[in-house]
Amino acid sequence: MNVWERLAAIDRRWIYLACGIAVLMPFIIPVSLPVYTTPEVQGVYDAVKNLPDSSVVMLTYDYYPSTLAETEPMSRAALHHLFSKDCKIVTISNIPLGGPTIAERVTRELAAQYGKEYGTDYVNLGYKANYVAVMKGLGSSIRSIFPADNSGTPLGQLPLMQEVDSYEDIDFIFIVADNATADYWVSIVNAQYGVPMCCGATAVMAPKMYAFMGSGQLKGLLGGMKGAAEYEQLIGHKDRAVRGMDAQSLIHLLIIGLVVLGNLGYFMGRREKGIGR
Amino acid sequence: MTPFSPIELWLMAFVTLAIFSFLYKDNPVYRLVESIFAGLSAGYYFGLVWDTVLMQQVVDPIKTDSSNLYLIIPALLGILLFSRLTQKWSYLSRVPLAFVIGSTSGIFITSRLQGLVLPQIRTTFMPQNVPGGSTDPWMIVVLSTIVVVGVIATLVYFYFSHEHKGVIGWTARLGIWFIMISFGAHFGYTVMGRVSLLIGRVQFLVEDWIGSFTG
Repeated sequence: MNVWERLAAIDRRWIYLACGIAVLMPFIIPVSLPVYTTPEVQGVYDAVKNLPDSSVVMLTYDYYPSTLAETEPMSRAALHHLFSKDCKIVTISNIPLGGPTIAERVTRELAAQYGKEYGTDYVNLGYKANYVAVMKGLGSSIRSIFPADNSGTPLGQLPLMQEVDSYEDIDFIFIVADNATADYWVSIVNAQYGVPMCCGATAVMAPKMYAFMGSGQLKGLLGGMKGAAEYEQLIGHKDRAVRGMDAQSLIHLLIIGLVVLGNLGYFMGRREKGIGR
Repeated sequence: MTPFSPIELWLMAFVTLAIFSFLYKDNPVYRLVESIFAGLSAGYYFGLVWDTVLMQQVVDPIKTDSSNLYLIIPALLGILLFSRLTQKWSYLSRVPLAFVIGSTSGIFITSRLQGLVLPQIRTTFMPQNVPGGSTDPWMIVVLSTIVVVGVIATLVYFYFSHEHKGVIGWTARLGIWFIMISFGAHFGYTVMGRVSLLIGRVQFLVEDWIGSFTG
């Protein structure tokens, strides 16, 4: 058995171990590699910055707990930026598992830091099944789709929701999603109701969302942990995403090395067996 | 500073490590945690839908205002969907399914056309933005040409009513190149996404869980 065959037969658990070490090391010995701002993230920052103070913004928590590492930093950065501009925030979730409770925990924590009051400065609508019907319904009346907020308080008792009852009363939508709902926010709500929006998407979704950037349907895009890190840096609140970027860079180098090694082994193995000559 | 209590932190750390133990090999602790996750998710989802749909949108409105009695009709249609569970009455489920298919088609056809197909076609034939904000007309022409050629070549690859020979064959082969480059970009982003999930868990273990020992 030559070296290439031995490499091809390596126990995959060694690769898992290498990945684990590559992720762990930067948290023990931080390097603080620089994070550069891309035009897509600058677009998000500019769109929020240019909103008039006290604008009403809908912030979506359309993600499962499994993607928290990418999406929660986006939500936190968005809340920092929006609360610092005194925007009124209406949060909503089209995802049953995680979304509404994450919205409750994260929004309340950040609101307390800025001295914001529930019901007056922000409201958590929670979750309602069938997101396409929900998105269409919110265009007619929010109260018909959400008679009560996430805690069961009737919307009529919340001062903010007495002024906000459809997309006409919402100045901007900040989507944070890990699934197809982002696509429908754009193709239904932006296209049919004309509400301007930006999107924070997981890295897996980001390539698809670039198409909406090109067409101008999205004002900006945060792609994965990298996008979240750029946004954290722009608003001056370096947090979990920025701290995670060292590990991201190191493990990418490891994966590039493994891909090159794997291909090299494949071609060398073919060559030694005389295949392809 | 973490918003979780020590008990929550230890429970989260235990569950995370139990799931990671599968990377070494399958084991009873992993299967226990996996089963708890499946059961919790199903129970939570049932409770959430019960409260937010059945109670808030059917029962409560009828209780508070008798003019909302019409809500019984969609509720009955929803119940009819369960008739699929019996062979004898399964035909009844076609009635609510007809509503679902009809309304979904109506919403999706218009939204896909208006929000996706038309804007993307328009953008394809518009001058493209050059990365870095360059206004060099040659760069704009080159980039816009690549986009138009890429879209046409990819569409030709998926045109199966003519044998892929001659001009159509060459164009389809060019289309494969564009598709492969697109797959490469998707793969790169997917790696970044999956790695981020691992980073998130390791970050929790190091910063929140182990970090709580030192205060």
